[in-house]
Amino acid sequence: METKTSEEAEGASVEFEPSDIEYVSYGGEHHLPLIMRLVDQELSEPYSIFTYRYFVYLWPHLSFLAFHKGNCVGTVVCKMGEHRNTFRGYIAMLVVIKPYRGKGIATELVTRSIKVMMESGCEEVTLEAEVTNKGALALYGRLGFIRAKRLFRYYLNGVDAFRLKLLLPRPEINPALLMAANNDNSLLHDSNKPPEGSSQHY
Amino acid sequence: MAERGEGGDAPLPASIYSDEQTVWADVSPLLEAACRDLRDGELIHGENFSLFAAMSALEIMDPKMDSGIEHSGYHSIEEAIEDGAAPIPLSFDRTVDVQCTIDIMDHFLACEATWHKGHSLAQTVFSCIYLLRLDRTSPHALLHSYCRIMRATCAAVISVVSDARTHEGRVVRLCMGHYWCCMDFTTCVGLSFLNSMSLEEDLFTMAYGLPLKGEGDEKCLSMLNAVEETISRQLRACKASSSKKGILENIEPLQTNLDLEEGYCKALLCRLRFRKHFYHVLMCMKKPQGRGFELARKHIASCLSELAYIYNSLEFLGFNAYGSCQNDIEDSTTASGRQPVGFDASLNSRLAAPTPPRAIKILSWKKAIKYFEKLLHDLDTICSFSMDPLLEGILRFVVQFQKSQPDLVARAHLQRLLVQDGKLYGRDPVFDVICRAAAVSDVPKNSGIQKSEIVLQLGQLAINLLKILCTNAAWQRRKLGKILQDWSVIYVQLELASKRDFAETPNILTDVNVSMKLSKHLLIWTEEQIYWIASRFLMLGFELDLYSPTEYCMVYWYMYVVLIKLAEATQLRMGTSSDIAKRKGKKKRDLPKDLAKDSQIPPMVLLLQCYICLSEGLTMMLAALRNEHKIFQRPSAFNTEEERFIQHFELLQRAHVPGHISYMLFKESTSHAQFSTLVRYNYFKDAQRIAKELRSSFSSDSDRLVELRQIEQVAEHNWIALNVICQAGAEDPSLKISFEFSHHPCFAIATVKRS
Ligand SMILES: CC(C)(COP(=O)(O)OP(=O)(O)OC[C@H]1O[C@@H](n2cnc3c(N)ncnc32)[C@H](O)[C@@H]1OP(=O)(O)O)[C@@H](O)C(=O)NCCC(=O)NCCS
Repeated sequence: METKTSEEAEGASVEFEPSDIEYVSYGGEHHLPLIMRLVDQELSEPYSIFTYRYFVYLWPHLSFLAFHKGNCVGTVVCKMGEHRNTFRGYIAMLVVIKPYRGKGIATELVTRSIKVMMESGCEEVTLEAEVTNKGALALYGRLGFIRAKRLFRYYLNGVDAFRLKLLLPRPEINPALLMAANNDNSLLHDSNKPPEGSSQHY
Repeated sequence: MAERGEGGDAPLPASIYSDEQTVWADVSPLLEAACRDLRDGELIHGENFSLFAAMSALEIMDPKMDSGIEHSGYHSIEEAIEDGAAPIPLSFDRTVDVQCTIDIMDHFLACEATWHKGHSLAQTVFSCIYLLRLDRTSPHALLHSYCRIMRATCAAVISVVSDARTHEGRVVRLCMGHYWCCMDFTTCVGLSFLNSMSLEEDLFTMAYGLPLKGEGDEKCLSMLNAVEETISRQLRACKASSSKKGILENIEPLQTNLDLEEGYCKALLCRLRFRKHFYHVLMCMKKPQGRGFELARKHIASCLSELAYIYNSLEFLGFNAYGSCQNDIEDSTTASGRQPVGFDASLNSRLAAPTPPRAIKILSWKKAIKYFEKLLHDLDTICSFSMDPLLEGILRFVVQFQKSQPDLVARAHLQRLLVQDGKLYGRDPVFDVICRAAAVSDVPKNSGIQKSEIVLQLGQLAINLLKILCTNAAWQRRKLGKILQDWSVIYVQLELASKRDFAETPNILTDVNVSMKLSKHLLIWTEEQIYWIASRFLMLGFELDLYSPTEYCMVYWYMYVVLIKLAEATQLRMGTSSDIAKRKGKKKRDLPKDLAKDSQIPPMVLLLQCYICLSEGLTMMLAALRNEHKIFQRPSAFNTEEERFIQHFELLQRAHVPGHISYMLFKESTSHAQFSTLVRYNYFKDAQRIAKELRSSFSSDSDRLVELRQIEQVAEHNWIALNVICQAGAEDPSLKISFEFSHHPCFAIATVKRS
């Protein structure tokens, strides 16, 4: 993802408890404008509405939104599919609005998506990030992603990208990890339900 | 559909029989209904009609379908010209005309550099209306000759880059609809498709529809010379009249303001001369087998001095820019700071595929000059290359050359020098090169070995390797990782073949004996190349910043393993080559004893030994930090270090480079590392000692001396850090340890700070 370069000093950080943040899986058309607004705000190049639809219609269970007091403050949009004989997940967009950063929201959003990917049989997860995006690189590094390759001048602004990759352990090799991931299933399935009529969100 | 209802034809039947299973049906009403139903932003999605299919139907850059296209005020070049966007002359005031012509020249330079740096030709150099309609400019000799040489230069540069095509990677995002498609989307809709179409050189050489070749471009130099001659006479005349020596010749001045005559003449002359010499450089370097290099170097020197004059014209031109005082020219594409006349990047934006016609930023004039300085220095390095016949020397040269991060045009020139017509320097058959490298003394004549499948393949691999080494670092690393597989397959084949030869020929005939020797040499040489490629692959990972500090430990460990193998293979090869050197002077049967006696270790192997020590030292220091200080570890939610090990070394492991290496082995060799033993047996001290001893062996090689100095420094710093950490003990939480690459791009030094 290419991020905005202008680092406006807007929005002082907000005080909140981690438990105040509510995570929901993509629940339908009413979530689309929320996701679009967030992503358009933070990523430099606007995505077409078709791009969003492509992701959220085909893989609604891989997209999550974070709400604080009814406001959408973060989102992750993903996909998965066969790629050269491996089943791989792909993180397309990840955004947390400035006042809410540094509190683990992005980590939680991505973690939820990756867990669903694991359950769906993904062997690996990938994404691209600008080589200058320290925050995202640190975040994904902590989750176990490696920088698999560098893409020369990937962005039209001439900046290189890293392809980040997370190799998921094969269950027979490391059952303990999969179990750990499965333990949180209840949580996941709850939030996986479309929040029908959850108008308190906005 | 458009025909429907036209001319009041009879209405079409609802369906037309086609064959037993199919009929033709008119779907227009259905489509019309669907169109009425669709709202803005909606899209049909069906099982066999995906978003990608829909997007593929859109014509990017068609203003009707791509609403993101940058609209020019004009629909065509002709319209722009009619509207006076590119007047000839540029002004009826001859002073202004000259000023504007200089601006055009400057902007051209900026465009050219921007093109070299990776934008399309159509949006850079060919955004010039004058260039797009070159014939129009013929009444204006100055502009005409300049445009012509610009065009010829572009064509010459394109030809080098396309000759040297290695499909250097540059994935560019696809543009969809009126938005940029996010890059992740391109991944999902088939990055392979993009990969194949958007390589760095492809983008570079893309010139569809541009009037790149024109009649008479071969005369561009003589035209330019004529114009240069006129202006230098004008300059002489002006100098003569100002020094009151009287007018030498009766010459009409360049423009009307006589106070500015000298300045403008000079500003033009250096610009014209730069063009002339640059074109000569390209032509000289084009000569096969480096025959034009000597002359090319002279032109490079002239180019550089003209560039300096161009730069110095800044003061004069900036001051005279429309009377106004010199404004900020840092971002400007001209020395005067003015906008040039006659450029419109959006006019031929439809030719810019595959990059969408979004406005691009042209490099500033100052940056363009810097770019050309670097390019010329890089070209000079190539021209001064001794054209070493030994592969080892070539590999070293290329790696050294790449250190300064040359851009595409320079790298393409190097590649074209190294490989032409499948031969080294377009001169030496690869087989000879390999035999020389593998220290094969007597190649069997007419044995057909040159034509054997394996040897042919080996030659192909060597050629590919050279080409890959000329690409940008990111692409290079990916390719090196991939070709390892091919090299190791060849190795296995060679091994089998040499065993077979042996088995099939119990009574050793001389010819067979020779060919056995050959395959033994080739085997050793191939192994050496494999480990050389692997070590380069691992080291490039540092230069590309692909490893995180928590991964350094395993990377240095792997590097250590690979370097040991490389040193062994190198020693073997050098052993066999000194064996040959001796054979020539001695009787054959003396050989075995001698070899054992003076098996001195060659300096090259000792140099590798230094790196082995550094790698091992860093591995153990990092391991001890992990074991005792619990730092540089990374527990992660979704996988373990083992997965990261597998990912980083996947390509090496798949090629069995080396065999029997596993994560378990890494763990075993590092899990007991601790500082108390490390300080007693210190790898860094060893590295330092060997490096010092080696100085005399490399006393005439300045690059090697620099390398030795680096090794000593890395060793020294790490040795000190090791002691500090050891003394402080694991309990000291105030110790902040980090790794930096301040003395070597791949070998880090530990820095210890107290917080
Ligand atoms: C990247 C982004 C999603 C992170 O959101 P976040 O909610 O602040 O992230 P988290 O709080 O979960 O951060 C988790 C870890 O990531 C790292 N991290 C996050 N932001 C960082 C920053 N700016 N600098 C350094 N590390 C950072 C830290 O290690 C952090 O852990 P810590 O706080 O315990 O040290 C957010 O900054 C953002 O929206 N940026 C703009 C869009 C973008 O870049 N998206 C990603 C494109 S690939």
